[in-house]
Amino acid sequence: MAVATRLTAMQEKKLQNYFGGKRFTLLYKASVHEFSGSNCLKRCCGQGPTLMVIYGGCYVWGAYIRENYKRDDTVPVVLFAFQENEISECDVGAHSPSFFLYEYSVSCSNSLWFLLNLREKKATVSLDTAKKLGLPQDQPISLEECEVFRCEDLLDKRTMKGITQLHERLLHDMKTYSPYGGLVHQIRILLLGPTGAGKSSFFNSVKSVFRGHVTHQALVGSDTTGVSDKSIYFLSLALQIHFFLFLINNHIRGAWVFNSTKPITPVHSNYIDNPLLKDRIHCVALVFDINSVEHLSRDMMAKIKKIRRELIKCGVAHVVLLTHVDSMDLISRGDLGDIYKCMLVKPKLETVHRELGFALSDILVVSNYTSEWELDPVKDVLILSALGQMLWAADDFLEDLPPEETGRYLMIINCGILYRVLHFI
Amino acid sequence: MAVATRLTWSEQKSLEKMLGNVSLRLLYKSSVHERDIRSMNEKCTRQGPTVTIIYVGNFVLGVFMLGDHPEEHNNFKTVNPSFYFSFQKNAITAMKTAVLETETKINSGQLVCYSSGQEVFSVHPGESSFSVDDSLRNTLGTYLRSGSKYSECEVFHVDGIEDDINYISKITGATKHRDSLLVELGTYKPCVDFVSEIRILLLGPIGSGKSSFINSVKSVFQGRLTRQARVGSDVTSITEQYRIYPIKDGRHGKYLPFRLCDSMGLHEKEGVGLCMEDIPYILKGCMPDRYQLNPSRPITLSHPNFIASPSLKDRIHCVAYVLDINSINDLSSKMVAKFQQIQKEVLSYDTACVLLLTKATNCGEFLQGNFSNMDKPMTFQSRIMDASKMLNIPIYNTFVAENYTSEWELDPIKDTQILFVLRQMLRVAEDFFEDLP
Repeated sequence: MAVATRLTAMQEKKLQNYFGGKRFTLLYKASVHEFSGSNCLKRCCGQGPTLMVIYGGCYVWGAYIRENYKRDDTVPVVLFAFQENEISECDVGAHSPSFFLYEYSVSCSNSLWFLLNLREKKATVSLDTAKKLGLPQDQPISLEECEVFRCEDLLDKRTMKGITQLHERLLHDMKTYSPYGGLVHQIRILLLGPTGAGKSSFFNSVKSVFRGHVTHQALVGSDTTGVSDKSIYFLSLALQIHFFLFLINNHIRGAWVFNSTKPITPVHSNYIDNPLLKDRIHCVALVFDINSVEHLSRDMMAKIKKIRRELIKCGVAHVVLLTHVDSMDLISRGDLGDIYKCMLVKPKLETVHRELGFALSDILVVSNYTSEWELDPVKDVLILSALGQMLWAADDFLEDLPPEETGRYLMIINCGILYRVLHFI
Repeated sequence: MAVATRLTWSEQKSLEKMLGNVSLRLLYKSSVHERDIRSMNEKCTRQGPTVTIIYVGNFVLGVFMLGDHPEEHNNFKTVNPSFYFSFQKNAITAMKTAVLETETKINSGQLVCYSSGQEVFSVHPGESSFSVDDSLRNTLGTYLRSGSKYSECEVFHVDGIEDDINYISKITGATKHRDSLLVELGTYKPCVDFVSEIRILLLGPIGSGKSSFINSVKSVFQGRLTRQARVGSDVTSITEQYRIYPIKDGRHGKYLPFRLCDSMGLHEKEGVGLCMEDIPYILKGCMPDRYQLNPSRPITLSHPNFIASPSLKDRIHCVAYVLDINSINDLSSKMVAKFQQIQKEVLSYDTACVLLLTKATNCGEFLQGNFSNMDKPMTFQSRIMDASKMLNIPIYNTFVAENYTSEWELDPIKDTQILFVLRQMLRVAEDFFEDLP
């Protein structure tokens, strides 16, 4: 049988968060390694802080030992139990694991005692404890399975060191990046999304990461068209990134062009017929709050699909940027280190992939800087990786251009695909 | 001391990736747990596949064992396919590997690995020493004598491996094979000198994976996932232009002497999907790159970029029919009739053809241990037979592939398979030239 846990993704995440942002490593599983107290002890002692999970009928409960212990040490033990998906705990004082794992019960004067008899698949807790944890009052409680995990901090020193190195490398790569073929010196990225999606704060976050400190640039108020034009961001003298922010808003009526110098409405009649390559949008990022992806209105989804088809027609590269991941329920800073593998984030990515048709590798997750004062390398790594993907996408776009364009920087008029007008209804 | 590995965060990530995107979980650490075989065994047996790593100064030597860590009381050797790797700290990219069919056993306080009856590797936790036999030492680049001491020994449980006897050879073999295919294709030249590049046309129903295949090929050569050809799923074809895609060898490399031509998907209804009358023009080489396809009207001579007198190099040299392997039996009779009509057309131009079946999950099954052959798995056998019969394409020109559609990163097993299919397409295309008058 495989050495895998019985905990559901939700239960595991809740436990990880409850005990301070931990990662679990399964060390012992009774059904594989034998229902024996001594076996359990052999595998679990000297492994640092451990979490023991006991499964009996509909009850999922156990013990958390936050200190390392050798065979006969006495350590503080905290019992916990899931009561309707929430965790409750009960401090039972100091015990010796080799004591409570012994196969014969021993009476104890301490009113908060707890004994685990693995061989007979029975556990005993004092009535007070059972009441506190919502466990059955008639003892002993039977159990079907017992698992023990080592608990490690998600962002321990080693991980932080690795992330910091990655951060430096990404920053360096970004500063030395040059667009495909040296065709342009300014990459133009359009951020498109509903109100509150996080477009402005993404721009600020990118700026902060390169500045080396958090900046909250006062937003230039968007005009009635809902377009705001962010100032150019310098990466190096040879390369700039220019962000445009555009609002998808149910009330906007109008036409705008992907390939002009600036998204426009009929109010602006001065759009350019043959925009130069350097003036076009090279990459579009559709920005959404990650919490909203499962609740997008049918209207919004239809709009997005329409936009996507237009983007494909124009050949403009596009990605999806999901923001505010740290505001998700149960997600903490520790999860940002490996966010794409996080069991609560993956379903969101699958939803976007399935409902809107974007490739998984085109869906980026970030946590913007909103109210912090200090930069955090864990966040920076996500922001830089997302920006990197946008630049790669822009590169793909530049590479895909017909040679006539790149040679002369002008569009051939009969390539009717080069500009489209999109109407929002 | 904390029970944390000596590997750096990025070294661990590289190792996990190399082993097939697994997770490594530390079970035993000699400097924290006791230095004897019993302690090691207590923590490591019955945990499934493990990786045992020893650190000797700046040098890291490891062995991945597919089977369980051997039990102390067993008096016999157990078969345990394994592979060995070594690298210098901070230079994990220059890793050396060796694959062996080994048997493992615990012998007088040592974990011993035997190959063909000979002891090739052993670890003695009690004395913090290890030994490696000569041939293995030469392969792994270690110049340490037997009985050398190590500073640390760690054993990890490996999470995420499918139970598969060919797993090891796939993991180590795939990268090597992929790299050799990359070299072979990178230096490919058409066998005839009057054509400088081979043109392969992809034809198939909407959503069958033509554009995805092109993206996958480009991705493998570029070493990263790229999506130049737009893909997606919709009722009508995402691809709306006829495109002739060049392939570069690496990000800044030269263009390779073959092009993959992408078209609109086929639909059983008239006026939807690729227009049947466009096909002869495409085959002859009259259709220009980026021509906007019209489902109801074929290209005409009056089109400004129409190539009126296409030369041999403009023609399509090989047609690859692309079908979703899972819906072969769901094709309507109208669609089948369309295919057969197209096939007639293609054969009338003497164009070579192959059949590419996509969306085959677990393509890893197809690859035999030694990668010399793409064996077709039993599960797909009947569908492959049906498809090949329907289009009258021999089995040896029928290939199975899984495109990159929803992955985060490249995988050497998939890469190998995609390159293999591409190479076979080129070989078949060359046959076309042989048949020319």
